[in-house]
Amino acid sequence: MSGLIREIRFLASDRAALLWLGIALLVACVSVILGLREIAAQRAVLNDLIEIDYAEREVLDTLYQDWGDVAYYTFHLTWDSPSDFAFAALGQRDTSPWKHQIRALALEGQIYETDAENPDFALIGRFDFAFAANLLAPLLLILLLHDLRSAERTAGRYELLSATAASRGSPWFARAALRTGALALCLIGPLWAGGLPGGAGASTLILASLVVILHIAFWWSVCVLVDRYGWTSPVNLTALVGAWLALAVIVPAAIKISVEAAVPLPDGGEILLTQREAVNDAWDLPKAATMEPFIERHPEWADYTEVGQPFEWKWYYAFQQVGDQTVEPLSQAYHDGRIGRDRLVGSLAWLSPPALAERAMQALADTNVAATLAYEQRVRAFHKALREYYYPRLFRGEPVSTASLEQRPQFQGNES
Amino acid sequence: MISMLAAQSLSVMRSGQQVLKDVSFSIEQGEIHALLGGNGAGKSTTLLTFLGFLKPASGSVHVQGRDVNGNLGAARQAIAYLPEAATLYGHLSAYENLHYFLSLAGTDTGREALDDALDRVALQPEARNMRMETYSKGMRQKVAIALAILRDTPILLLDEPTSGLDPVAIDEFNRLARNLAEAGRTILLVTHDVYGACHVADRIDLLQNGVLVGAFDRPPGMDRIDTEAVHVAFAQHAGA
Repeated sequence: MSGLIREIRFLASDRAALLWLGIALLVACVSVILGLREIAAQRAVLNDLIEIDYAEREVLDTLYQDWGDVAYYTFHLTWDSPSDFAFAALGQRDTSPWKHQIRALALEGQIYETDAENPDFALIGRFDFAFAANLLAPLLLILLLHDLRSAERTAGRYELLSATAASRGSPWFARAALRTGALALCLIGPLWAGGLPGGAGASTLILASLVVILHIAFWWSVCVLVDRYGWTSPVNLTALVGAWLALAVIVPAAIKISVEAAVPLPDGGEILLTQREAVNDAWDLPKAATMEPFIERHPEWADYTEVGQPFEWKWYYAFQQVGDQTVEPLSQAYHDGRIGRDRLVGSLAWLSPPALAERAMQALADTNVAATLAYEQRVRAFHKALREYYYPRLFRGEPVSTASLEQRPQFQGNES
Repeated sequence: MISMLAAQSLSVMRSGQQVLKDVSFSIEQGEIHALLGGNGAGKSTTLLTFLGFLKPASGSVHVQGRDVNGNLGAARQAIAYLPEAATLYGHLSAYENLHYFLSLAGTDTGREALDDALDRVALQPEARNMRMETYSKGMRQKVAIALAILRDTPILLLDEPTSGLDPVAIDEFNRLARNLAEAGRTILLVTHDVYGACHVADRIDLLQNGVLVGAFDRPPGMDRIDTEAVHVAFAQHAGA
């Protein structure tokens, strides 16, 4: 205990260490504030859109007397609400859609649409807590620890300190532990301060803190390893920054390139184009060319396939579905490929502790690829429910009624 | 009687070079023993070997009868070490430095004891709360000597303790060292200052290129070793 107090006093008098710790605290605070602001903005957008979505449908429901028109003109907002911990790791919410307006038309042309506010930001990523803790914090720890012993050797104090210490190695462990602990506190403090009032669960915050601590402990062990060689401070710093560059930048980039090469994905544009072509071509094909593949999927409407007019809504929606069916193999391959890539990246991330910690935080924040795919799955399920709602009304030619409209599926959000 | 410090046929290698060759000596309690030699003679190497920072290539070093190899913790606890040109923390004051290092050694020392030690090394009271980066070399050395005194260990290893001190301070140091020895503390100091060694030491071992080439004892009843004889031997071996 007295050793800890001694080292706390010593640390309090070390201006360079205080500077790095101050920067860590500042970086953590800024990242948490920016994350909270971003999530608040996303929630505000969703609240507005949900309100508009209901209001718009109420108006539209009074305008049309034909189920084809109703299905064509009525949009349904779908959304993926951010978790209460999403502020800490925005993850896939930067690049993948978290809100869609869906109609009962072909889905594949709608589901990959996204409206990133600023593609440049999407490219470089956000300054969130995960970035601060996983990419910047190791650098700050390196600055705090790289010269613990080497600076003492240079100053001629190393032997004096070692010989004076009552137990071997005690000043070094205490100093390193204190600096590492202080850095972890500078990071975790703002995380809790921002997370608890924001509704993040204590268990999530504990797990996130554990991720931060384990990650920092890893970098501490790297510093200890480099320190064993007895190099000078500049050499230590160069070696450690080199290790950081390799583990935080080069290895993740190499993982990305290798995984993309190992698990090829169909081009998203190809899915969209194929589906659009299938839908557009249907206008010029005999009606039977559309209805036959449709009935294969929906035999329950086999008795309603006669299309007597040049245009009938049931035929229109049938070829929308057939357009989706045409790209099903591509879409499935795209879906499977994304899962495959994510799994492979997850395995290879063990080669890069910063990448591993980032993935762990995104998993806690529900902003990882799995969460994105889960949202996509909910959109698909909702779209399927819409079709199942409209098809009987379209094929049987039922009249539009308020009672029937009230049975229309409503998208259920994922708010907790 | 067990010697406080003993080197037995000690040989040490540093960076592939043999810097100590078959060195043997022993120091009894209350003795001041000086290792005298030029640059690179192996004086500091001897101290670092007693502290366990260097391992003997052959032979052994003993502290209070125990081989340092295998009893390092106990050896270090028995020794207060003053490195050559000791640099304490510049951003701390003399008090803060002493407090820090003594705490590191597990010694709880009050302000009164600190002042007493700083008085003994004649550090001005008004300087004691100033950051040590503002100190002269001699003032820094005085604080380092005070630290060695305050450790209250039976053995002191002092590497060039009078480096940077003015003649008056050197004289005060010599008297302080004698007082400490009379109080039972054993001192091994290394120096290239022939005059100082002759005045303070009970025995001088002359070290040249890692080999002991001469030994001089203070004759009974005399207050110093024969400076002339040591000078001659030192010059003879330095020129050899």
